[in-house]
Amino acid sequence: MLISLPEACTADRVAALWRTTLPAVARLGGGDTLTLDAEAVAACDGAGEALIVELYRRSARQGFAIACRDGRGVVARTLGLFAVERFAEDPAAANPARNTSTAVQLGQAAVHIWQDACGQMAFLGEATVAAFTLLLRPGRLRLRDTLLHFERAGIDALPITLLIGFLLGLILAFMSATSMRQFGVEVYVADLIAIGLFRELGALITAIILAGRSGSAFAAEIGTMKVNEEVDALETFGLPPVVFLALPRVIAATLVMPLLTVFAIVAGLLGGALVVTSLGVPATTYWQHVVKATTLGNILLGLFKAAVFGLLVGLVGCSHGLQTGRTADAVGRAATAAVVGSLILITVFDGLFAVLFYVLGI
Amino acid sequence: MRMTDAVITVAGVDAGYEHPVVRGISFEVFAGEVFVILGGSGCGKSTLLKHMIGLNPPLAGEIRLMGDRLFGGSQEERSRALRRFGVTYQSGALFGSMTLLENVCLPLEAFTDLPREARHLVAEMKLELVGLKAYAGYFPADISGGMKKRAAIARAMALDPRILFLDEPSAGLDPVTSAELDRLILRLRDTQGVTVVMVTHELASIFAVADRCIMLDKQTQRLIASGAPAELRAHAELPAVRAFFNREG
Ligand SMILES: Nc1ncnc2c1ncn2[C@@H]1O[C@H](COP(=O)(O)OP(=O)(O)OP(=O)(O)O)[C@@H](O)[C@H]1O
Ligand SMILES: [Mg+2]
Repeated sequence: MLISLPEACTADRVAALWRTTLPAVARLGGGDTLTLDAEAVAACDGAGEALIVELYRRSARQGFAIACRDGRGVVARTLGLFAVERFAEDPAAANPARNTSTAVQLGQAAVHIWQDACGQMAFLGEATVAAFTLLLRPGRLRLRDTLLHFERAGIDALPITLLIGFLLGLILAFMSATSMRQFGVEVYVADLIAIGLFRELGALITAIILAGRSGSAFAAEIGTMKVNEEVDALETFGLPPVVFLALPRVIAATLVMPLLTVFAIVAGLLGGALVVTSLGVPATTYWQHVVKATTLGNILLGLFKAAVFGLLVGLVGCSHGLQTGRTADAVGRAATAAVVGSLILITVFDGLFAVLFYVLGI
Repeated sequence: MRMTDAVITVAGVDAGYEHPVVRGISFEVFAGEVFVILGGSGCGKSTLLKHMIGLNPPLAGEIRLMGDRLFGGSQEERSRALRRFGVTYQSGALFGSMTLLENVCLPLEAFTDLPREARHLVAEMKLELVGLKAYAGYFPADISGGMKKRAAIARAMALDPRILFLDEPSAGLDPVTSAELDRLILRLRDTQGVTVVMVTHELASIFAVADRCIMLDKQTQRLIASGAPAELRAHAELPAVRAFFNREG
């Protein structure tokens, strides 16, 4: 068969030639001869050179001969620049770390999950040790950073916390009121909202907001510092990143959660009040029921849960940040993992608390 | 092989952002030349380069790449000009989530309709040109600084540009690697016929590769010298220029 290279052997011409001729070339075998006519070629770019190399490497693989008309020396020049035998193997195999076989990938994934778990445990240990050394020498805490994160995670989150708390109370009241009305007990909506918000939903919804706003931000901030080798710089100064970066954030998240939760609960109660009073229940009755249902136990329980959730969000966010890889997309993955990990842990701990408080009879 | 017609013409350009950093720059770069832009830190070399590659419009004046303007002409004129050059940035700017092969394949995917295997082969051949074929499957984070610079050059060469802009290609490299990079630049010029415009501070590198250079000055905001490096070392009128070339304080 005959392949004539065009005068301008450039990407757009080569693309067409590649599609039309190479399937036919694939059928050639030992004893066949391919005539490559390069007499007309005046300009040849990387794509043209690639076509020439491809033909010669197929000739080597399939055993056909190439008769080349190369008056201008284009083919000879290309083959001089690129040794065909260097392009024999598959480039995907070049990186030993990148294996594409399913079994190996499965194994690598398992090892990865295990390493991730180990990393989290190690971080937890380091954070605990750091927290205890901090108790002995409180001066080492970066107070300014802690306050800064307190502001960012707490005060800046106030509007959205209030809004979502309010809407939550509104929705809760509305849903329960429609069914309670059938029995004429709309007043008890107040009890339901108060107990529901204090014991469960207040802390839960605030923790979800914190995880989305601040957990991801912790991971992204620390992750970016990791990519820029700033974390390494800290380490070589003898400033442990856990003390310097993680503790201020974890402490801020733990302290700010109970406060935010109180705001969310108050907003929720107001939302409930709006619905209940619009159903004809006097506001004073509503608030009387709320106060009666709100025992000190319920308040403390909710705030305790809130603090634990805050601790979880802070720890998970910082630990994923410190374990970020060295590329830009690793930062994105760390932020995602921080939010997902926080949400999972929050739900798991919420379930554990429910069982625990039931057993303890609180 | 030098042709008389200019590949790049810069005419009366004021380079800068809101305010000019250097003013009234005019020069021409000819085909097959290695052209070096010199000057102290902060004198506007990267800024001038940003105008030449079409990232920011110059504050005044006109730049043409093989006759086409990047700014002030039609959209077709700009995209024609954009296809004529490849760039490597001062910070490397390889995409971290892609292997070297994928990095080089990216412009081929965007601008040609070559089939996949053809793109891969072209990319592999570009990596071979810079001596990185064995690392095609590696991620940028897993190779050394000098290898990243070479990989960036391979990516810039993917579409066979006529012009290559390099911003401090040898910054942060040891003298041996830096010399290797110089040889690579000359080899690309000789085998692929590209015209190279680069910013560099390395005297050794300038004498090794530059056909001609220009020097910008921060104080006067002017182009203060132009010519072949050996010529400037021997005959420059301004003491600042002579000091630079003779390494005097
Ligand atoms: N994005 C920007 N916006 C405004 N001004 C800038 C910007 N980038 C740089 N500059 C200013 O322009 C001037 C020239 O900067 P430029 O980056 O061109 O220097 P340079 O000659 O490349 O220096 P170096 O050798 O250190 O890379 C500097 O004074 C700098 O402060
Ligand atoms: Mg610069």
